[in-house]
Amino acid sequence: MTSATSSARRRHLWAVAGVAVAVLLLSLVIRSAYYQLILTQVLLWAVFALAWNLLSGYSGLFSFGHAAFWGLGAYTVALGMIKLNLTPWLGIPLAGIVGATAAALIGFPTFRLRGHYFALAMLAYPLATLYVFEWLGYQELPLPMHRDAPLLYMQFDNPRSYVFLALGLLIVGLLLTLWVETSRFGMSLLAIKQNEPAAEAAGIDTWRWKMRAMVLSGGLGAMAGGLYAVVLLVVTPDSVFGMLVSAQPLIFSLFGGVGSLWGPLIGASVLVPLAEVLNAELGDILPGIQGVVYGLAIIAIILYAPEGVYWRVRDWLFRRPAEPPPRPAAVPAPPAAPVFASATRTASGDLLVLRGVGIAFGGLRAVDGVDLSVRAGSLHGIIGPNGAGKTTLFNIINGFLKPDRGSIVFDGGAIAGLRPSAVCRRGIGRTFQVVRAFPRMTVLENVVVGAFAHASSDTAARQMALAALDRVGLGARAGVTADGLTTRELRLMELARALVAEPRLLLLDETLAGLGHDDLDGILGVIRKVRDGGTTVLIIEHTMQAMMQLVDEFSVLDHGRLIAAGRPDDVVRDPRVIEAYLGKRWMDRAAVPETATAETA
Amino acid sequence: MDRRLISKLALGSALALAMGPVLASGTAEAQTKEVKVALIAPLSGPWARQGQLMQMGADMAIDEINKKGGIKALGGATMKLVVADAGDTAEKAKNAAQRLLSQEPDLVGGTGAWLSSFTLAVTEVTERAQLPWLTLSYSDAITSRGYKYVFQTAPTADRQAKEVLPTIMKLAEAAGAKTPQTIGIVMDNTAANVSYVKPMHEGGLAQYKLKLVVDETYTPPLSDATPLIQKVRSNRPDFLLLLSSNVPDDKMLLEKLSEFGLGVSKLPTIGSGTHMGTPELKKVTDPELLEGLITGAADWGLKGQEDIIAEFKKRTGEPWMNQDSIMTYGDMWLLKEAIERAGAADKVKVGAELHKIDLKEGPAAVAYPGPVKFDENGHRVDAPLILVQWQKGEAVSVYPTDRALAKPVWPKQ
Amino acid sequence: MQALAAGVLVGGAYALMCIGLGIIFGAMRVVNFAQGDFLMLGMYVAFYLTTGFGVLSFLGPYAAPVVAAFIAGPVVFAVGWVLHRFLVSRVTGAAASAATGGFGQILVTLGLALILENGGLITFGSSPVAIRTPLSRASFEIGSVLLNEAKCVSFVVAVVLVVAVYLFLAHSRTGKGLRAAADNAIAATYMGIDVDRAHRIAWSLGVGITAVAGGLLASTQSFQPYVGFDFVIVMYAGVVLGGLGSILGAFWGGLLIGIVQQLSTLILPYQLQNTAIFVVFLLIVFLRPQGMFGRLSERT
Repeated sequence: MTSATSSARRRHLWAVAGVAVAVLLLSLVIRSAYYQLILTQVLLWAVFALAWNLLSGYSGLFSFGHAAFWGLGAYTVALGMIKLNLTPWLGIPLAGIVGATAAALIGFPTFRLRGHYFALAMLAYPLATLYVFEWLGYQELPLPMHRDAPLLYMQFDNPRSYVFLALGLLIVGLLLTLWVETSRFGMSLLAIKQNEPAAEAAGIDTWRWKMRAMVLSGGLGAMAGGLYAVVLLVVTPDSVFGMLVSAQPLIFSLFGGVGSLWGPLIGASVLVPLAEVLNAELGDILPGIQGVVYGLAIIAIILYAPEGVYWRVRDWLFRRPAEPPPRPAAVPAPPAAPVFASATRTASGDLLVLRGVGIAFGGLRAVDGVDLSVRAGSLHGIIGPNGAGKTTLFNIINGFLKPDRGSIVFDGGAIAGLRPSAVCRRGIGRTFQVVRAFPRMTVLENVVVGAFAHASSDTAARQMALAALDRVGLGARAGVTADGLTTRELRLMELARALVAEPRLLLLDETLAGLGHDDLDGILGVIRKVRDGGTTVLIIEHTMQAMMQLVDEFSVLDHGRLIAAGRPDDVVRDPRVIEAYLGKRWMDRAAVPETATAETA
Repeated sequence: MDRRLISKLALGSALALAMGPVLASGTAEAQTKEVKVALIAPLSGPWARQGQLMQMGADMAIDEINKKGGIKALGGATMKLVVADAGDTAEKAKNAAQRLLSQEPDLVGGTGAWLSSFTLAVTEVTERAQLPWLTLSYSDAITSRGYKYVFQTAPTADRQAKEVLPTIMKLAEAAGAKTPQTIGIVMDNTAANVSYVKPMHEGGLAQYKLKLVVDETYTPPLSDATPLIQKVRSNRPDFLLLLSSNVPDDKMLLEKLSEFGLGVSKLPTIGSGTHMGTPELKKVTDPELLEGLITGAADWGLKGQEDIIAEFKKRTGEPWMNQDSIMTYGDMWLLKEAIERAGAADKVKVGAELHKIDLKEGPAAVAYPGPVKFDENGHRVDAPLILVQWQKGEAVSVYPTDRALAKPVWPKQ
Repeated sequence: MQALAAGVLVGGAYALMCIGLGIIFGAMRVVNFAQGDFLMLGMYVAFYLTTGFGVLSFLGPYAAPVVAAFIAGPVVFAVGWVLHRFLVSRVTGAAASAATGGFGQILVTLGLALILENGGLITFGSSPVAIRTPLSRASFEIGSVLLNEAKCVSFVVAVVLVVAVYLFLAHSRTGKGLRAAADNAIAATYMGIDVDRAHRIAWSLGVGITAVAGGLLASTQSFQPYVGFDFVIVMYAGVVLGGLGSILGAFWGGLLIGIVQQLSTLILPYQLQNTAIFVVFLLIVFLRPQGMFGRLSERT
């Protein structure tokens, strides 16, 4: 059932072959050494952009410091030649190793950071290195000339040879990217990009995938940098570690289309020649004008195609046949039965037991000494006003937060302090208050992401995903891209994503929020069906009505404390609950826009 | 550009063969009318000013050559300058060189690209194309690669370094000051300066019994010169080598020296490079601070160049003519001379002539100090170091004494 | 001591430009690569007011540079306003970043940087210039420590301005709106705050303040159109050090950068002073990712 992916892969492979042939033909047709040089540079920068894209484009971790790898590659080759008389044939692979090692060393501390912090911290590495290389006395390294042995030292008379070398690297880069994009590797990275916590909660070991992407990216970038040194024949810290070098792959990828196989190549193919033509045609007439025009061109195109040329063109080409093909007919029957059987087995006693769990932020005790027992096979609800600590409690159970006191026992084993992906593998799945769909992926792919941690192969992951979609009744929509779904369908899709891991305990975080009456009934039915299938369900809500008809047991949380627990009818009569909670309900209902906020945030 | 490519594609080999004789005669005729030489210099980016100065010098020489009847050996053919912007990276400089060679296949020579890393990238291309290339870059690496078509008109950094110490000692002596015994070096870590001080550390200082009391290296651009100059103040050398590489750092260092009571009038200060003698330095700081400051260059306004300088000032409005302009001016005349001697607009022949040349007169001979003669590696033989000193608000040549326009002044301590 | 004093004085100017960037970053979450070029604009405005056209020369060589620096603020503020109105607002703000993941703004500010630098080359020429003032080479002597007068003046001016900006943001109506928009743009919309306008004010104010810092630097430093580049990194380091979104943090961050830069020369080779900045930068970011004054506000 990998036909969709593998046909896409095959299509792309043909396209890669097509590009290779086109470049070969182009370089054979071109006579001028100048055009060959520009072609070489297009290819080299494209490889560098691909390397950047491999990490930043897919995982969303923006790197402003990829020059670190490019520069290390260039210096490895140059110093190898100068000090050890090392041929670039070995120097460039060595540069790859150096780059990959550096990437691992950089990634190790830097992955603790997110968002802008990560991007800006990355900026520091190449710049710090730049000054170190200047200090070491490598301000200007001309590569030694070996005209007598051009083949051995890559110092060819025919500039076409460099095109071939760069093309070789480009093919490596494209194939690497293609492999990543069409495997669980790429899907995991995309999941991280959309929502790292959600990915982690779905059982993806985010740190490991990020590290792998970083190492590949660093290695590839350094190899391109190494070849750049061979082509340019002189290496200076500024020309390989400078901030402009870090900006190049970013500009090319963003321009061409970030997170796509072809974006980086498109960006480099347009912008490198554009800059050169501007330099050539305008540079000697009015110095500086070429930079102005180049800047204007970038801005103009990004205003027209904010996500980059590739996505814009793709949207334009495929707008009308937008409805993706329906789910292929030849789907093997989902192996649903065993899932339910295995889950029912444990349907007795308490599946999850919290004792005295608490956590504080600053001075505020967000969760304070909570004791909670969730019976296996039950549908247990937790209610409480906004800010009562419900989501914090979930975050503690599934491992986002480490409680500073208390114990959590799941199915007889302590899980407090485990990482979310590990908790997920133990059998606890969850959804989020705000649905994080991966909008450009199909519904099926969205769910497949959740299956990776539990499937032996990509094919198995796909089958499990289809089964889960059938369970929530979304099977018919498997081929639709997620951005075309209604709120109800998004909720169901997220439910399927959590279910695909076959959890024994499912944490649902305000799954009912923002739904209309008709939608509500449908979802309630699905949740009941999940429980009937043997999965224990723990659900948070702040509105009580729907919960009353849904759950078997109720716990009420207020100001981080559990103030009541028991059967729904008993709990709502509890005076403490009425005081703490029901009085506020009306205020909550009045604040309708707030739910809308959660939708768009 | 595109037209050129298309026409190349369109002209199949058969067609070219058939048209061969016609084309050949056509180009030959064109060559006798116009001989093209190139200038590659940074016209945009942080070094744009230097590129501009070079272009001013080149333009002036070309105008003069053509006004005086062009290249006589080629029936009065005019010389045409083709300019390309080297931008702000070695990559752009190399592209510019490759582009010129592709678009102007009939180039016979050229000059550039100011910054030595640019020149290293550019000369690799021109050497392959056997295009004679003149350069005023100092780096030793340019001419140590066994190239046949590169001619370094400036003394290499190595040579300058060897020459500067004895010259300074002589200067101090001539001015009647006591012989300096201690030296301070404050420098940035750009390639030129690093190779400049290397021979000093390797025995140069010892030879003149100079004790190094301050030795500080910084990474440009400076944010603040206080800690650097603090060290100069506490160790107080007899004279200071101040090797920076741009005007903003010059300003910061000189003002800090003055602030700490170590102005040039009290502490003799010797710099290196043309930036310390440019008119804009006078605009960004108090001219008083500059009085007496000495800097080293490969060329500067010298005796015999008076007409050239007067003409240059008139054309450009620049207050004086510095190394970048006058050497590029000389380069054009030198190329013209070589073409005359080759008797053909043929780059290989021009290259051979440049190796044989030993000019005694004419603008090219006047434009450079020292003999106009190259060794087999392309070094200009005995190219001397010129010392320039700020005197009465103007940077004038003070050494070598036979051609300098003014007498050097060594501050009395 | 001397190094520390130098560091504090250098840091004062850094602190001011960091605050400019900090306001933009804090309110808009926009990585503005062109910030250094607005600094450059500020330098040129101040230069032309004092030296170029000499409009302010009647104020004498002492007051003119400072007044010019202050005028550079509103001028660049206006430039920023127009740029935001017609360009930046189209790629920033909640709607735009939801649609494009916020990538567009990176390219737009990079493009803007290219245009300003090269446009600067065409307009202002390539020769380095500076405002000449006798203060820049005179110093106060306190014990054995020499304090550069021009730098003292810009330090004092910077601190005054920082306090003014801080009070403005903390107490004025506009300032409160700005902070609300920074905190949660969508919530602010519901509260009836015009977020687009708040962003425009933040952007213009940010570039304006940085321009004043540039104007102050113009008398101690000579510059050409590409000078902004050298400062962008310092600014980002300072802002991240202080904590994204914290105005006070940006101030201390900038100051710390200046101090580290100068103090490092006591133990490290002078050449590595900028490396020292990045090492301190990385250390702080790793030990305290929210910066010295920031708070963890990135939500899951």
